[in-house]
Amino acid sequence: MSWSSVVAARLRGLFEHRRLERELDEEARFHLEMQIEDNLKAGMNPAEARYAAMRSFGGVERMKEMYRERRTFALVETTAQDLRYAVRTLRKSPGFTMTAVAVLALAIGANTAMFSVLNAVLLRPLPYRSPEQLAMLWTEDPTQNFREGRSALWDVEQWRSQNQSFADMATFDAMNTTLTGADGVEQILGASISPNLLPLLGVRPTLGRSFSTEEAEQQQRLVLISHRFWQARFGDSHDALGATLVLDGFPCRIIGILPPDFKIATLDADVWKPHTSHRTVRDSETWFVIGRLRPTVTFDQAQAEMSTVARRLNNQLPAAERNRGITVVPLSLYVVGPQSRLALWVLGGTVFCVFLIASANVTSLSLARSVARAREMAVRAALGASAGRIVRQLLTEGVLLAAVSGLIGTLLASAGIRLIRAFGPGNLPRLNEVGLDLRVLGWALAISVLAGILVGMSPALATLRRDLRVSGEEGGRSVSGGAAARRIRRALVVADFALAIVLLAGAGLLVRSWWYVNRIDPGFKPERVLGMQLSAPPAFSLPAQRTDLYRRVLETIQAVPGVANAGIIGDLFIANTREQVVTFERDNGTVSERQQFVGDEVSVDFFKAIGTPLLRGRFFSIGDGPDAPPVAIINDAMARRSWPGHNPVGRRFKLGPRDSDRPWFTVVGVVGDMRRQGLEREPFPQMFVPLAQSSSPHNVDLFTRTSSADPLAMAGALRAAVRSVEKNAPIYGVAPLEQQFGTYLEQRRFQTALLTGFSLVALLMAAIGIYGLIQYSVATRTHEIGIRMAVGAEAGEIFRMILGEGVKLSLTGLILGLLGALWLGQAGSSMLFGVTPADPLTFVGVSLLLIAVAVAACCFPARRAMKIEPIVALRQE
Amino acid sequence: MKNDRTYKADVLQGTLILLVLRTLEALGPLHGYGIARRIEQISKDVLQLNQGTLYPALLHMEQEGWISSNWGPSEKNRRAKFYSITAAGRRRLAKETEDWRRMSSTIESFLGFDPRNSAEERG
Repeated sequence: MSWSSVVAARLRGLFEHRRLERELDEEARFHLEMQIEDNLKAGMNPAEARYAAMRSFGGVERMKEMYRERRTFALVETTAQDLRYAVRTLRKSPGFTMTAVAVLALAIGANTAMFSVLNAVLLRPLPYRSPEQLAMLWTEDPTQNFREGRSALWDVEQWRSQNQSFADMATFDAMNTTLTGADGVEQILGASISPNLLPLLGVRPTLGRSFSTEEAEQQQRLVLISHRFWQARFGDSHDALGATLVLDGFPCRIIGILPPDFKIATLDADVWKPHTSHRTVRDSETWFVIGRLRPTVTFDQAQAEMSTVARRLNNQLPAAERNRGITVVPLSLYVVGPQSRLALWVLGGTVFCVFLIASANVTSLSLARSVARAREMAVRAALGASAGRIVRQLLTEGVLLAAVSGLIGTLLASAGIRLIRAFGPGNLPRLNEVGLDLRVLGWALAISVLAGILVGMSPALATLRRDLRVSGEEGGRSVSGGAAARRIRRALVVADFALAIVLLAGAGLLVRSWWYVNRIDPGFKPERVLGMQLSAPPAFSLPAQRTDLYRRVLETIQAVPGVANAGIIGDLFIANTREQVVTFERDNGTVSERQQFVGDEVSVDFFKAIGTPLLRGRFFSIGDGPDAPPVAIINDAMARRSWPGHNPVGRRFKLGPRDSDRPWFTVVGVVGDMRRQGLEREPFPQMFVPLAQSSSPHNVDLFTRTSSADPLAMAGALRAAVRSVEKNAPIYGVAPLEQQFGTYLEQRRFQTALLTGFSLVALLMAAIGIYGLIQYSVATRTHEIGIRMAVGAEAGEIFRMILGEGVKLSLTGLILGLLGALWLGQAGSSMLFGVTPADPLTFVGVSLLLIAVAVAACCFPARRAMKIEPIVALRQE
Repeated sequence: MKNDRTYKADVLQGTLILLVLRTLEALGPLHGYGIARRIEQISKDVLQLNQGTLYPALLHMEQEGWISSNWGPSEKNRRAKFYSITAAGRRRLAKETEDWRRMSSTIESFLGFDPRNSAEERG
């Protein structure tokens, strides 16, 4: 009739617990006393009167229990009771509780921290409107297995007009930019974007406006600035709009401020300038291309259509650039590539395995405890607790344990997240977005509950399978109690070892890969070399002026004490491979080929400074000046590809197709391949020309080989030397070459270190797990061992028996784990370098390690068993 | 298992509610013992009231708003909890009474219609 009033009354009951209980007592007492009085009046003696009153009332406690159930919500009430009881029991065994909480909290913390990374990097959508419709479009060269090439604007115009799949396409690229301010010139991050890019992404400036197509066509000097740049330079002031920045020597007007943390894919810049997207001729500039799919079009459909477009365009392209394709890659896959994705999933899986092992260990501990508590349970059952109630009690303990651990674990995770953000690999995209959000907290809650159920369920199951009454009658002996518990614990130890070996094998393979990667010769000697970037001020507008500036800078630096050598290159590290049509003179005539290719300008002493060996011919000399015939040094990869089996020195080649009017270069030397894209990437054809014969770039990399083990110590002296030549030349990015080069290995180091660390934790936990089990087994078998020894078993036999028990379990786990590791290794093989997923050395190595650890862990309890005195053991009865 | 018990209690309670409400309507405010005595006096030999079950039933009825309770002095000047019927309780009583009458007459006629059953009873 009125459930709401009942609910209200029961809610009140929750809080007025004590008062209602007292009133009930009083009411019951009044009732009984009245009855007794009436009974006395009826002529009974006092004892009789009391007994009759009690009998007609029925069980007082039973009535109270019924009353309580009515008074409030039974579930809440009993849960609260279970919780109070659980807190009491857990407090009574602080050793168990603290161990369990520490292990679980660490596991939950690590898991939550790792999940926050997965969440930010992989799961959270990119910060654009409908990001699932965005794709990168690449010019692909199937002949060179080169899938992600940039594209000419003319091509993009054709793609745009000839396809139905994409609503729009836009182009962008990073641009080195100098900013001239009151205190000189400095280098800032710049980007050039087509005017339709921001509308395509669905991003608007938070302040001001974006460029219009007309403004871009007219090449007006307008610029958008990043939120970060706005805060740093204008202190959030609205005056920034309309202000002028001198960029690359030209004044540009600020018309808008972009939202905080705005990036295009991974491109992060301070100033964003427009470029016109129309080209009437096909020039050699290439751009990144991003497109937005029409709402109902899938990536596969778009890919199919773009392939058709590529075929149709084929005969409009220059001969050397035919037979190329267009690749459509979802933007999210471009931002976080398959390598990073795989690595993250592997790490996530690893941490989850550690979590499972931790839960298994805590479960094992609480199972051991549940056997010891068999009598307590039997007493509770005898007092009328139903099996369901006891199971619920045990589950409550598990969940309480997990809840406390989850809370501590979440705190640990938030500390871990700070660590990851500070020390995580810089080249992992979106790492700065890692944080504790609702989804991460939800995950922490979910795995805490999972841990609670895992930890509470097994003792509960073991309790159910044991006949409670029997163990009650068993009295003090605990020998036969808990066969079910022991079986579960054995299975848990096997699982521990299986998971541990999977992780160890993975870590072993990564460590071996790391070893191989580090043994690769980068093609130069980065030790003791200090790198810095240098820009020529805008006043140096002619190539000859810049060449002269760089020559003077190098001369001054070489005079600095402690400097062995110094050299300049346009750009040492190659972020994006470019392609180029190159025409070669061979014995049988000239050949044009499009290939992955990079050309750079270098100073005379560059190769000596950086330590790259000369394989053939000669280095550049002062004689290779602007008026001398154009010369080039090529790398070994180019020599092998372009003139296979011949000495390339003296041969000629030029950039562009056969009919291009670019100058012919004569090869004067061949240098060793430099791994300029990181150790793991194969070198591709590269050429070098003397600075004096080039257009001499505005920004260059300057490398100084010093005599100091810590080249950074020389930074001040070198900076001063550059300033003494030209005080307006911005210097930035000062870092030892080893460190600059090391960033390529950061992600590998991060995943190797994490996986190794976690697998060692897993191994340690597995060891603790087996130690606990065998120790316990010895403790419960003391009596049996005593009898065995009394009837003549040798100490050695006992030792072997106990050890054998442990080794059998660990070997079972080992075999299961190895099978799993072999299977998983195939899936993760792209993370490996130089080793096969079934590398025998690794597998044998980690197996031996695991067996050694298992034997060591079982040795202690086995030795204890060996030392059991038969008399003492038998007297325990 | 728990469901079984609840079911039985509900059946019992249905009758008990009717008896309590009728008692309170007829006699005015009464304490728990008084209600129990009254029910026993009237229905002795027929209804074996387990007095203890009275209190949970009283709580339930109070939660439903059919009765209200006050602490007050008893006949012998002791503190006791007195229950009295509310307006909602009277409506409930009317309905319960009607339900009970209809139910018992239905069962009566049902039993009367079964020839074998009635034959056995007579025999």
